[in-house]
Amino acid sequence: MKYKDYYEILGLQRTATQDDVKRAYRKLARKYHPDLTKQSDGEERFKEVGEAYQVLKDIEKRAAYDRMGAQWQNGQDFQPPPNWDEGFEFSGASNEEKTNADFSDFFEAMFGGAHAGMHSRQRQRHDARSDHYAQADDDLEGAYSGAPFSAPGQDHHAKVVVDLVDAYRGAQRTISLQMPAIDAQGHVKMQTRTLNVFIPKGVRAGQHLRLAGQGGAGLGGGSAGDLYLEIAIREHPRFRVDGRDVSLDVPVAPWEAALGAAVTVPTPDGSVEMTMPPGSSGGRRLRLKGRGIPANPPGDLYVVLKIVLPPADTDDAKAAYETMRQAFNFDPRANFHG
Amino acid sequence: MTSYLEGEIVEEEVEFSFVELCRVSGASEEQLSMWISEGAFEARGARPEEWRFSGAALRRVRTAYRLARDFEINAAGIALALDLLDEIDALRAQSKPSNLRQR
Repeated sequence: MKYKDYYEILGLQRTATQDDVKRAYRKLARKYHPDLTKQSDGEERFKEVGEAYQVLKDIEKRAAYDRMGAQWQNGQDFQPPPNWDEGFEFSGASNEEKTNADFSDFFEAMFGGAHAGMHSRQRQRHDARSDHYAQADDDLEGAYSGAPFSAPGQDHHAKVVVDLVDAYRGAQRTISLQMPAIDAQGHVKMQTRTLNVFIPKGVRAGQHLRLAGQGGAGLGGGSAGDLYLEIAIREHPRFRVDGRDVSLDVPVAPWEAALGAAVTVPTPDGSVEMTMPPGSSGGRRLRLKGRGIPANPPGDLYVVLKIVLPPADTDDAKAAYETMRQAFNFDPRANFHG
Repeated sequence: MTSYLEGEIVEEEVEFSFVELCRVSGASEEQLSMWISEGAFEARGARPEEWRFSGAALRRVRTAYRLARDFEINAAGIALALDLLDEIDALRAQSKPSNLRQR
């Protein structure tokens, strides 16, 4: 188990007041909130500051945490001293607004006992308010949020990452979702659920797929809730996706750009032939209409020309460049100095 | 043989009633009515029982729900935050070199 330095995470000294703790948390939460940032690690950081705040905002938990001493480093291997929490009463008294199932091992070991004593009323509150983000395995990542244990027919949410080619062709995918559930000891544990799902052709990042009846089970004959899968498209080394449009860089030789050429261009759904007009400059964007994501209406594929110079590494090549110099009387910096 | 579940694309094929939108987003009916009265969401239909929201509302309502929960923002603040987030998205799309000049 790794030690978590909650003060460091919130950027605080150990002498910080409770007001300082709240202020630091609020500021960092706004910075890393998944709805407010485009940073790829935002969700991870948001969770981390949330965990730190859960402990430091509570004076009992904070005092117990402080008693472990200040000699530990963030990420250091750590075993809690025996009876470290002697005399503290926070276990079993929690009615936190969020379940902490995806907090760190460190949190779970030190403060995670709180779930065991939850009353059913608090559990229902939990249900109504819980919202989890978690990672799933290999091919597809899942993030799961929703209400795990008892409310009838809750709708659940998860995120799945699909390949661009899946959006072009449609696909059958097996996805794994991590969902929180309460085990026999009353601890919240992540459970894995596997689903086979059609990824429809033409789906775009940010869209949601509704799977009727795949959410929370209904109790007392109530109908089951629905499962909503938010689609994300995996980064591709060659193609960039923007809504339904896709773009890629295509290297061309200077003479191809100057004289025009027929070029074979890869698309996520196979290659196409493209005619490049003469007099094309580097960075020029050519549109292949309807070759983007096949939504309704379909997106376009943009080809961005990158002119690549052949190396002057033989006598013939050098002679060719020399001939060019003499033929052109060309000053690339003609407009360079105002 | 493995069977595969077929879903609907919410943004293209689904409309929500007021109650459905609450249920799917996690927001309470009171919260959602406050957001609507601040102009954060628009519905087709005259009376609340007739309201219909496009599937595209789902994403925004969930953002509103999470912001309200995580920062204790009131309805006016939620409406403002959603407007600003829309504007940031629009600016981001503009500042990208892609797709602008040739549209």
